[in-house]
Amino acid sequence: MTSDLLLLIFRVLIFPGFLFLLSLTLFCDWFERKIMARMQNRMGPTYTGPFGILQPLADYVKLLTKEDITPRRVGGVIFAVTPVVSFALFMLSAFYLPIDGLNVFHNVGFEGDLILVLSLITLAHFTLFLSGWSSANPYSALGATRILVQFLGYDIPLIMLAAGSALMTGSLSLREIAAKQSVPLAILMPWAFVPFLLVLQAELEEDPFDIPHAETEIVAGYETEFAGRKYAFIRLSKDLQVVFGAALASNLFLGGPYGPLLFGPPAFWFTFWFVLKVLIVIFVMELIEAICARLRIDHVVKANWSLMFPVAVLSLALTVIAVPWLRGATWIELLEAR
Amino acid sequence: MASSREDETINTLRERLGQGLLNSWVSRPRRAYVHVRQGSHREAISALLNRFPETTISTITALDLGGEIELNYHLWCDGTVLTVRVTVPKSNPVTETVTDIIPGAALYEREVFDLFGVRFTGHPDLRRLLLSDDWPSGQYPLRKDWSPGAGLPLKAPPSRIGNPDMRDASSIVNVVVGPQHPALHEPERFLFKLDGETVLDVETRIGYVHRGIEKAAESLMFFQNVHLVERICGICNVAHTVCFCQAVEEIGRVEVPPRAECLRVIIAELNRIHSHLLLLGVAGLEVGFETLFQYIWRDRETVLDLVEGLTGNRIMAEYNTIGGVRRDISPSIAQTILREMRNLRKRTSFYREVFESDPTLELRTKGIGRLRRPEALKLCVVGPVARASGVDSDIRRDDPYAAYEDAPFNVPVYDEGDVWARLMVRVDEVAESINLIEYAVENMPSGPFRVRVARRQPEGEALSRVEAPRGELLHYVKSNGSAYPERVKVRTPTLANIISFREMVKGYYVADIPAILVSLDPCFACTDRVALVDADSGRKWICNLRDLRSDRWRKQP
Repeated sequence: MTSDLLLLIFRVLIFPGFLFLLSLTLFCDWFERKIMARMQNRMGPTYTGPFGILQPLADYVKLLTKEDITPRRVGGVIFAVTPVVSFALFMLSAFYLPIDGLNVFHNVGFEGDLILVLSLITLAHFTLFLSGWSSANPYSALGATRILVQFLGYDIPLIMLAAGSALMTGSLSLREIAAKQSVPLAILMPWAFVPFLLVLQAELEEDPFDIPHAETEIVAGYETEFAGRKYAFIRLSKDLQVVFGAALASNLFLGGPYGPLLFGPPAFWFTFWFVLKVLIVIFVMELIEAICARLRIDHVVKANWSLMFPVAVLSLALTVIAVPWLRGATWIELLEAR
Repeated sequence: MASSREDETINTLRERLGQGLLNSWVSRPRRAYVHVRQGSHREAISALLNRFPETTISTITALDLGGEIELNYHLWCDGTVLTVRVTVPKSNPVTETVTDIIPGAALYEREVFDLFGVRFTGHPDLRRLLLSDDWPSGQYPLRKDWSPGAGLPLKAPPSRIGNPDMRDASSIVNVVVGPQHPALHEPERFLFKLDGETVLDVETRIGYVHRGIEKAAESLMFFQNVHLVERICGICNVAHTVCFCQAVEEIGRVEVPPRAECLRVIIAELNRIHSHLLLLGVAGLEVGFETLFQYIWRDRETVLDLVEGLTGNRIMAEYNTIGGVRRDISPSIAQTILREMRNLRKRTSFYREVFESDPTLELRTKGIGRLRRPEALKLCVVGPVARASGVDSDIRRDDPYAAYEDAPFNVPVYDEGDVWARLMVRVDEVAESINLIEYAVENMPSGPFRVRVARRQPEGEALSRVEAPRGELLHYVKSNGSAYPERVKVRTPTLANIISFREMVKGYYVADIPAILVSLDPCFACTDRVALVDADSGRKWICNLRDLRSDRWRKQP
């Protein structure tokens, strides 16, 4: 009983929970910056630590020591807590990912944790909107409305495309979806994987969809009024969001932590494959970011309702048709097998 | 026939004005002057516009003659710079506006109002242009009887820029962009009226980077002023020195050796490539295409290296001087230039392909910020902005200087008038500049690269125009026979182009603002150079230059 509790605390705080996810976030931040720089003919971080790997940590430490300025007329409590709340929500969502084969709470998850996780990130997005809305700054207000417009548009296709994987594997549990992929779903149903990556790009506000914080138009968008600790947490939750998004994509379409187990403890290899796949997804997203100019909010709204939404519907329909064929059984047999 | 065009223009005016035309003369081909009676300038300009509908105004130069203020309206009509001169009494400096005839004059009249105190009756919006809002009234810094510190309250009252009224109407929001903003690389202030994400109107306030260069130029000798005008703008510094040196050479009747003229072409075109690549990269940044920015700026480095090889400096070339250039070109740097130009040509055609075919770039630039040809002519825009709106003008071809007369080059003109066209004009001009540089290096005349020129210049005036990277640059220099100029007037391309920003941005989205602004390639350091912001800094600045001068004095051979 006590050892169970200790294990749980260890898992939540150290591995694969808070500390591990935090280090992974910082590492991915460095990875993003480095490959982006290389794609753009630049050096990227080089100074702090080997290959500049400690640069994100140094940045956050610096931000934490900066003066925390709260402008007059901001929305009080909401302004103060949204950075931490959004960070906590993304962290909690990431806890449900089967990082070392199990989720952080040391169980196999439950049927439907996919839905829970998708709802949690919706809520986290809304806190980001609130952070801008409470800032009493025209740039922040513009950024906040933009984040809401963009996210209202892209949340629906994201959920529909995620449902494709659930249909294919016959489960709503993240771990089940990952475990049942003997062949990665990205190969079996590219019609769902490719749009999912694009929609993810929009969800994560990466180019060409980095409209809510387009610096040449509205300074830092909803982040404009944040400074010091609050800004550090906003940045951290944005970085965590990228890791979570990449992990979700790898879990739904690339088989998550499952891969060939070569030797030794499975937990190590599960984590290894998990991190590797996350990095692959991040690499692809950075590639898209490097070759695109930023779109305009009206382009995004138009592209969403006239392009991404129909594509998501079609993709789901295609999946429904293809499931029996791919799984070698008719729908009736599949239902009876339950 | 040298007489035909200039005389025809003058005769047009003589017929119309009759006794109103006091005097007229042609100083050299493509330079004509008419002195008209006070009040006749409106009639003169409308007569010119009737006869030559594509007449544009370059600027208005004001001069303090002691008892009177002289106004020179520099007009470009039918291949001639025609200067319409009119004088107003200094005790009551009032004259009629020409903005209803030629809307492009609006900012020039405001400039003269701000710095000389001439009131233009009928001007729709006669406010300060360059001086700060808290500048005391009745102080006109460019008048001869004004000196820094005299009669000025040293402590300025708190700035009254003020807060815009945020509750204009229910859904209209005022958003201030600047003086400090990530999209602006120089201090500037725009007040945008927005309805949601749509721009309804914009108000521009320039003048944050005054350095009082026109006033300072009057207290420096001609050869020192070369270095002063070089500092008007970091990017198009070569254009400024070429322009100023040409004006002084015209006054002093200096024959510049052909080799120097050819070298001026090389450095000016290197400067143009550098400026255009810089802008194209920034355009990428403004529409969120950071990779393009990084790539283009990397290629721009090779141009800076070439400038360094040729002149010794990367940015501030310090290459031109009155009577020629300061260094000859060595065979090895000539070879390097030819080699790098070949590389750069490949890169340029790659960028051309990117700008032509990249879908996201196309979404952000095509059909955005339209300026049609009639508006472009009416607002008298210059350079790439005019050429992108179908106005086929290029000083290098229409009013040739240096060695451009014989050099073969095309003038790219686009009819779309949108952001995309303004960027494409620049991409094509980079290619043309590469050709020009290769031609100039391969056809370099032999001989000296400079002639020595006396410090003292004869009495006279000259108007020099140069196609700077951003468009027509104009220097008007008047000499009173001493080593110091009586007046140096600079009209930079940005001042001519910024007036069109309002027309371009209305009705488009907030997200288009940076793209439209950058497609003008605004340079506010150039535009704001004219006046002193406050007495203290003004005095200090001149002192510094005097120190500099005494140093230079000792080092002179």
